[in-house]
Amino acid sequence: MAVGPAKRRRVDWRTVAGRIGFVLAVTVVLAVVLVPYLWMVSGSFKSTVELQAADVTRPGQEPSWIPRQFTLDNYRNVNRTVRILDYFVNSLIISTGTMVVGTTLALLAAYALSRWAFPGRNAYIVSVLSTQMLPGILFLIPYFILFTWLRNQFGLQLRDTYTGMIITYTSFALPFSIVMLRSFLDSIPMELDEQAQIDGASRLRILFSVLLPLARPGIVSVAIYCFIMGWNEVLFASVLTGTGTRTVAVGLLEYITAQESRWTMMMAASIIVSMPVLVIFSFLQRYVISGLVSGAVKG
Amino acid sequence: MPPEGSARPALQRARRFLIRTGPAYLFILPAVVAMLFVHYLPMAGGILVAFRDINLFTVTRWYEAPWVGLANFVQGLDPAGFLGARFWRSLWNVTLFGAVTIAAGYVIGMAVALLLNRPFPGRSLVRGLILLPYITPDSVAYSVWRFIFQARIGLVNMWLMKFGIIDEPVIWLVGSNSIYAVMLASVWKGWPFAALVLQAGLQTIPRELYESAMIDGASPWQRFRHITLPMLAPVTRMLILVSILWNYNAFNQFYVMLGRDPGPAADVPSTLILREAFSTFNFGVGTAMSVVLMAVTLLLTVVYLRVLRSAERGQA
Repeated sequence: MAVGPAKRRRVDWRTVAGRIGFVLAVTVVLAVVLVPYLWMVSGSFKSTVELQAADVTRPGQEPSWIPRQFTLDNYRNVNRTVRILDYFVNSLIISTGTMVVGTTLALLAAYALSRWAFPGRNAYIVSVLSTQMLPGILFLIPYFILFTWLRNQFGLQLRDTYTGMIITYTSFALPFSIVMLRSFLDSIPMELDEQAQIDGASRLRILFSVLLPLARPGIVSVAIYCFIMGWNEVLFASVLTGTGTRTVAVGLLEYITAQESRWTMMMAASIIVSMPVLVIFSFLQRYVISGLVSGAVKG
Repeated sequence: MPPEGSARPALQRARRFLIRTGPAYLFILPAVVAMLFVHYLPMAGGILVAFRDINLFTVTRWYEAPWVGLANFVQGLDPAGFLGARFWRSLWNVTLFGAVTIAAGYVIGMAVALLLNRPFPGRSLVRGLILLPYITPDSVAYSVWRFIFQARIGLVNMWLMKFGIIDEPVIWLVGSNSIYAVMLASVWKGWPFAALVLQAGLQTIPRELYESAMIDGASPWQRFRHITLPMLAPVTRMLILVSILWNYNAFNQFYVMLGRDPGPAADVPSTLILREAFSTFNFGVGTAMSVVLMAVTLLLTVVYLRVLRSAERGQA
């Protein structure tokens, strides 16, 4: 009994040191992750004047973490210099459109891949997988030329339209969405289809009333993926959107021009722009993560 | 009537095939059309465009633009020329960028995945928080980093001055430093993804392996070296390969942090080609560069599909 507590205490010390080290390590990780966000939030409450006066070389004048003069002007005037709220609406329309169209097309294609062994199936899978890997810049120029040609030849305006952007992003989202939904449908036993078929249900009916409810987690993941893809895309948006359809991802950059850098407003706008994605993430984290992981592991 | 007799089974077979398999084609049709329109037609057309002289005036009637043979390729790829030198430099830049960010992202991701692998109170919150950089929109995250790297009002210079590491503010976003600033921001944004994938991989390793290794007296490093690393090899292979392929996509961080023209030290193929097409309106040369980039990525994609195949076979 006399030895027991002493021994236990020695072990305890090592555990305590280990615990402290562990907590410290986790704190460092969290600090690295969070510092840019804190800087963004702090910047969004500073006045333009305060930021212009700041200078890292002059002691006492350094930019501060806590705004010297707390102001809400950046939020109040957020739509004034750059029409970021209008861009926000554009992004909502384009991302939601991509989500609806992309998920539907992917579901149909995944259904075919999961339930039929049709000639050309493997070639199709390979082509889907490889498109996902090709950098967007490869087809941006010819795609732009195609848009120009369609407008001049057939009067079909696709550049700077919601339709054009939704078509573009749908196609970007398809490869991953198809692969992901296919693996979900594959996990649903064929007997369910056969049973429904005996009961006289059509193919579409089977898909939408038998398989769809069972594949809901996969569909939610894919829908989120499509939405976020449309929300975040920069390259094609920088060329194919115009004044009428500018999305937040490129609109945000307008705060910094050759003449003026409106950092404080840009930080306020950044917070607004991140909101939808952060809200989706905090409520549907499970689906987001399952989408991310299977996207990486399965390609 | 022999002709009819032999035709009927063939017809019947065709009919049966149509009824049985036909719907499959109908179901993939919309997706195929969308991808044809956005990916395959432009890519095929791009190869034609690369051999024509297409500028702002000829772009609307691109099919009537004069053929110029290999002139676009010569202009875009000749290392002695201005553009060619920029192009090869941009390929080198993106490769260097990828080597650093992928390696750093993997190491940090692995360290954090291991750190968070044992249960502790608040673990799921921490796991959620570390994913923030990954899910934050690129243009937001890199705009904030651009703000942080400002010379006079930036956080980086403020801290470096405070700790006496530098005496004068460093210009981060112009010139030779810029690619390192972008690398740092990209590592910050990219490592959580590696951590997430490796976390998922760690969960598939059976606990018994570690338990029996501990009975045999294996040190933590030995357990990592001989159990964790080999068991994570398939996940690692996919992760690195996908990252290498995606790396040639690198555009957002350069465009957001450095603008349309990041300068020779930080130009990547995407920014260079974009400028060549939509600032200089030299669509032909831009497309010629794209075709070369396409060859590089297709080669890498073939490797990727090979590995994917062998991984699937290994699983089955």
